[in-house]
Amino acid sequence: MRRQLSVCVFVCAAAITGIAQAPPQWGVDPLWPQPLPNHWILGSVTGVAVDAGDRVWVAHRGLASLLTRTENGLDATPKGAEYCCASAPHILAFEADGRLAANWGGPGPGYDWPRNIGGIAVDATGHVWITAQGLPPAPPARTGAAAATTPPPPEDAHVLKFTREGKFVMQIGKAGAPGDATSKVGLLKPAAIDVDSAANEAYVADTGNHRIVVFDATSGAYKRHWVASGSTPFKAVACVSVSRAGEVYVCDRDNNRIQVFKKDGTFVREAIVSASTRGAGSVWDIAFSNDAGQQHVFVANGTEQTVHVLRRETLAEVGRIGTGGRWPGHFYAVGSVAVDSKGHVVTGEALQGKRVQKFVVR
Amino acid sequence: MITRPKIVAGVFVLGLVSLITAERLIQRASAADQATATVEAPRFEVDPAFPKPLPNGMLMGMAIGVAVDAENHIWVVHRPDTLSAAEAAADENPPTAACCRRAPPILQFDQQGNLISAWGGPGEGYEWPQSNHGIFVDHKGIVWIGGNGTNDAHVLTFTQEGKFIAQYGASGKTGGSNDTVNFGRVAKIFVDPKANEAYLADGYLNKRVVVLDADTGAFKRYWGAYGNKPDDTNLDPYNPDLPPVQQFRTPVHCSDLSVDGLLYVCDRPNNRIQVFTREGKFVKETFIAKRTLGDGAVWDVAFSKDPQQKYLYVADGKNERVYILNRDTLEIVSAFGDGGRQPGQFFAVHSIVTDSAGNIFTTETYEGRRLQKFTFKGVTQVPRDQGVVWPIKK
Repeated sequence: MRRQLSVCVFVCAAAITGIAQAPPQWGVDPLWPQPLPNHWILGSVTGVAVDAGDRVWVAHRGLASLLTRTENGLDATPKGAEYCCASAPHILAFEADGRLAANWGGPGPGYDWPRNIGGIAVDATGHVWITAQGLPPAPPARTGAAAATTPPPPEDAHVLKFTREGKFVMQIGKAGAPGDATSKVGLLKPAAIDVDSAANEAYVADTGNHRIVVFDATSGAYKRHWVASGSTPFKAVACVSVSRAGEVYVCDRDNNRIQVFKKDGTFVREAIVSASTRGAGSVWDIAFSNDAGQQHVFVANGTEQTVHVLRRETLAEVGRIGTGGRWPGHFYAVGSVAVDSKGHVVTGEALQGKRVQKFVVR
Repeated sequence: MITRPKIVAGVFVLGLVSLITAERLIQRASAADQATATVEAPRFEVDPAFPKPLPNGMLMGMAIGVAVDAENHIWVVHRPDTLSAAEAAADENPPTAACCRRAPPILQFDQQGNLISAWGGPGEGYEWPQSNHGIFVDHKGIVWIGGNGTNDAHVLTFTQEGKFIAQYGASGKTGGSNDTVNFGRVAKIFVDPKANEAYLADGYLNKRVVVLDADTGAFKRYWGAYGNKPDDTNLDPYNPDLPPVQQFRTPVHCSDLSVDGLLYVCDRPNNRIQVFTREGKFVKETFIAKRTLGDGAVWDVAFSKDPQQKYLYVADGKNERVYILNRDTLEIVSAFGDGGRQPGQFFAVHSIVTDSAGNIFTTETYEGRRLQKFTFKGVTQVPRDQGVVWPIKK
């Protein structure tokens, strides 16, 4: 029996804005996706994307985000557990019905696997793009036996393109060789990527350089870049998403701000989302609704533990999905969002959330 | 003389017979496989809609105790202080987000999953634990809690409304496993309604079971593993290839009494359950997932609700599953659950209890931080490993 919970994961549009035109309502499907095989568990989820076949692609941090003492004892040497658990591969895909459709990822010849994976995108040809987001500032150094004895791998400064089967295709940028804010070849801890398949261009949120960079999606050649409009620079650029109408939406996370540009970088408009949010900010990721006009924008807010539903034209809030907690339909650090062809909303939770969830149109 | 077509027909018929026979054999074999693959045991289904969301944007921290009272209400103790500033953002000054805030440490839910009361914390006349651990509601309706913080050497009792009743032992005064006044970081309490005695799993520091008079808190008796006098000498790390040690290894994590007067003690990092009489006479033991290291496999136990308590449920927060044991033989009959954050999956399933209908409730510590309900679906044929017990599609 597959149920949709009617717990308070919806907020009626009218309750917030009083406007007449309400967006659809969504209910969490608590039994999606299906349990993973091999006692695999997810690490912190850093990206979700939906492909043309409505498969949901997930990027998660795996081992780097799991505590082997308590979470993934099967990965310890010697094994600390008999039955459970082990880190799932970094890249997973789920069919619309929740079955696991693909699992791959990790170091290989010819490319630099990220120290810390970031965003994920799937283009119209089915290629899977990921970013090497880099680690957040290191916690205080451990002393004694636990202290690292080998130097850390090179810092993340690149994006990668694979086939849907996980075969390496292309790398832009190089680990350990970051570029600055004017570089045409280098990046610094890019957090997100989107591909404009019509123009065959890849848009990269070059987080460490506070800019958006556009590359040719086949050759990887630099095409253009731009920074924030106005006097306030981007602070933690967490997403870049190209709408059907050809506008580029940028998540300026820690500034609680969305800036919208034309594809050439010309500023169009901006909006503040959840102005009272402090801390890590309100705009962690963006997705567009599936209707022809993409009337709505979904904003994952990992600080407020909710997904804001905005009118795309006005960027005014008309509803919310979810609130804080660990039960189905709740969030901890919801940091990524995507929409499938049916209008269902898929979310990924970072930090200790470590989940993907699907919210079905009711 | 047999004509050629007849031979062909004969071979065909023979082949057909063989095929049918083979198919029957296969059918029989698969039936046999099925018979060995399934066992008779309780079946459960997770209820993904339980409990209802907490009101007022409240969050639960590490959930380190669960109990059921006479009215079938579910009681949870958790650690609000384990919620980070980023999670309990509304508790910051000024708030960094509208969501969320820390729920009080003691939460009471009704059978529908509504939160019906919430209380707890420091107050006049008692020492609230440094680190909450374990909850029990006894036959008189009294709420008992333990504590496993560094200084926690006591247990507390309250009314169901949160009014302080008594404190046994004093914070910071532990005298080790042979102290008859204070305890050593008590993990769990179980009150025997017949004898009106409280059994303390003592604990994270001490290596013993303690029995108190449930009305006065007076010390009655205590013992260590195998009924030995407890000895606080440091043990080397657990090694599955060495003979079992003669002492409990901290934490001693549960001590629950069955209807026939047998006490089941969770010797957590030793991966074993030891069974005693009420007086502390060792009866038997069993080992579970013996190669489990670190936190161990035996975190908590609960009894099935048939009159004989035929089954013993064991929560294993390291392997993320609940074992179903035949309580008499202590054999593992089946198991359910697996790791993860979705319904029916676990991260550090820490505590387990059954209600009067035989439903199981679990809580998760570390980053699990959930209460989950597993609805009892009767004793039936189930796989030995039931995996994640989602509701069966109809």
